[in-house]
Amino acid sequence: MNGAVTAAAADTVLSASGVTRRFAYRTVLAGVSLSLRRGEVLLLVGPNGAGKTTLLRVLAGLLRPAKGHVERRGAIGMVAHDAMLYPALTARENLRFFARLHGIADRERVAAALEHVGLSRRADDRVGTFSRGMLQRVAIARALIHEPDLLLFDEPLSGLDAAASRTLVELLAGFRERGTAMIIVSHEMERLGRVATHMARLAAGRLGPVESLAGRDPAAVFAELMREDA
Amino acid sequence: MGPTLRAAWHIALKDVAIEWRTKTAFASGLVFAVLVLAVLFFSRDPTTVSSTDIAPGALWVTFTFAAMLGLNRAFLIEREQRALDGILLTPTPPVAIFWGKFAANLAFVGTIEAISLPLFVLFYDVPIWVRFGELVLVIAMATIAFVAVGTLLSAMAVRTRYAELMLPLLLLPFLVPPLVGGVQLTARLLEGRPLSDLSGWLKLIAGFDVAFVTLAALLFQVVLDE
Amino acid sequence: MTLRERGDRIARVGAVVTAAALLGLVGVYVRALVYTPVEAAQGAAQKIFYVHVPSAWACLMAFVVTGLLSILYLWLKDRRIDLAAAASAEVGLAFATIMLTTGPIWGKPIWGTWWTWDARLTSTLFLFLLFVGYIVLRGVLTDPGVRGRFSAVIGIMALFLVPFIHLTVYLFRTLHPAPIILKPSRPSLPGDMLATLLLSVGVFTVLYLGFVMLRYALGLLREAREEELADAS
Repeated sequence: MNGAVTAAAADTVLSASGVTRRFAYRTVLAGVSLSLRRGEVLLLVGPNGAGKTTLLRVLAGLLRPAKGHVERRGAIGMVAHDAMLYPALTARENLRFFARLHGIADRERVAAALEHVGLSRRADDRVGTFSRGMLQRVAIARALIHEPDLLLFDEPLSGLDAAASRTLVELLAGFRERGTAMIIVSHEMERLGRVATHMARLAAGRLGPVESLAGRDPAAVFAELMREDA
Repeated sequence: MGPTLRAAWHIALKDVAIEWRTKTAFASGLVFAVLVLAVLFFSRDPTTVSSTDIAPGALWVTFTFAAMLGLNRAFLIEREQRALDGILLTPTPPVAIFWGKFAANLAFVGTIEAISLPLFVLFYDVPIWVRFGELVLVIAMATIAFVAVGTLLSAMAVRTRYAELMLPLLLLPFLVPPLVGGVQLTARLLEGRPLSDLSGWLKLIAGFDVAFVTLAALLFQVVLDE
Repeated sequence: MTLRERGDRIARVGAVVTAAALLGLVGVYVRALVYTPVEAAQGAAQKIFYVHVPSAWACLMAFVVTGLLSILYLWLKDRRIDLAAAASAEVGLAFATIMLTTGPIWGKPIWGTWWTWDARLTSTLFLFLLFVGYIVLRGVLTDPGVRGRFSAVIGIMALFLVPFIHLTVYLFRTLHPAPIILKPSRPSLPGDMLATLLLSVGVFTVLYLGFVMLRYALGLLREAREEELADAS
């Protein structure tokens, strides 16, 4: 995995080059390039307002870059700050709706997804009554329902208590085992460091070098990324 | 069914399910309709203006304002938790979102109209049975016009901070042809005139429907983009 | 050329064009008031016609230009096209206002009523309201991309709406015949009056162009400033 795109390897799930995006006259992303392969988990750190959320949305295809290009191979799932759910509907109804839009009519898959995130008992409660941790889990089930090759997470641990955080990190570790590629935006480097395979820093719309975490202490890599940027 | 129609169907069903469960916009729309019908009935000199004179206007003003109350709701539910992003992350063709919302809005406005109509007959004592089938056709045609343009414009209005203000401001000029046509046709039908007498207005509303349903569907993608 | 340089240049040209048009306008007033015969049936009040009709023409032109530029913008996505469309809309609003105020001023002494729902006045009234909606919408949207796209949608929809409004009023009229209205823009105008009218229409067209250039230049300069402010922060 590198920060610049050369020839795409056979198991590349995502490649972006020169992504530029502006909003209200400000440049939010300035020529970001990266590529991701199966099984790789990129932890994206950086100060607030650096453009991390915007980058995720561009990679997901929700935003079009003003310049540059994103190539997606395979399906994408996304878990953002907003749950992307309907509060008036139950967890099951929400999932069934999004599953239908993916062309999935099988009720078993919805039940299995709810089981996977540990919400089978609350499946028929309205999502509007859920705590943030439970909302997050329904959102993950929604993102997973079509068995995507790439999962994008925007601050998945924010607003969660210690127990909920632990559950979530376990889930993420499970995805990594299965070989799902992931990009996780988070400042919780301590908790997520062991899930990630790579780390990079986005600051002022620019992406720094992507460092592999193989056999290294995440905290040390983090410190190095901060230094390089200075 | 093609993928667009299928997706639109699921989106429409989902909207109806949500509205059925909360009923907030529906209840407000209905109360509003009753109020407008009543106020317009009383805001005239009964010795010089008969109820049948103002009836067509009262009916259509009621329909228009009740419809506008409900239109913003369709996109506000998508913004609450950014559920629209969830839809855009699926392979759903964007125009299916328009058709789904259009259908759901039609169901919403149509239901309010269906309930207002008997109240209208009750309050204004009009001979609705004389040309009932034609009247329903006229109401349907004009409602399609309202809802097509209203769906497109509410998708824009909810992206601003002033959705309740922007929707009427932008929408009302576009409602003039179907509204005037609706009133004129209703008035003539209540007098017992056949529809063949009124082909000019019918063609106006039909032409408007074709032009603006097409335009709204084509321009919807532009409004979805961020 | 940077945005700022282009804005400055167009502002200069626009100022010259506007000045020329205003001089022409003085000429039109002089000709209309002094050299053109007074109309027999309507008297002096009829002179407003030389301002009223060209305003309606300029307003219509502005509206069509905004609509066509809106289509062009959605196709080419060049923000300068959006700025030009917005400039045309604001100028159109001004001319619509002139048309809607001169109409009643002219109408009262002649028809005995301030307002009449004839096709032209009614269409212009709705054009006025559409322009207002367009401008208010632009005012509440901060991102230039969203602003351009949403404005373009309104611009294109309005282009298709106005013929329907015209038709609506026409149908309304044929079912509810109005009191006899003098229709002064019918071709049977005596030579002098026709010449003054045509001169006025020409001057108003140049005035429209000058105003649009100035407003467009202002738009460009505002864009330049927004960019400078954003780069600095």
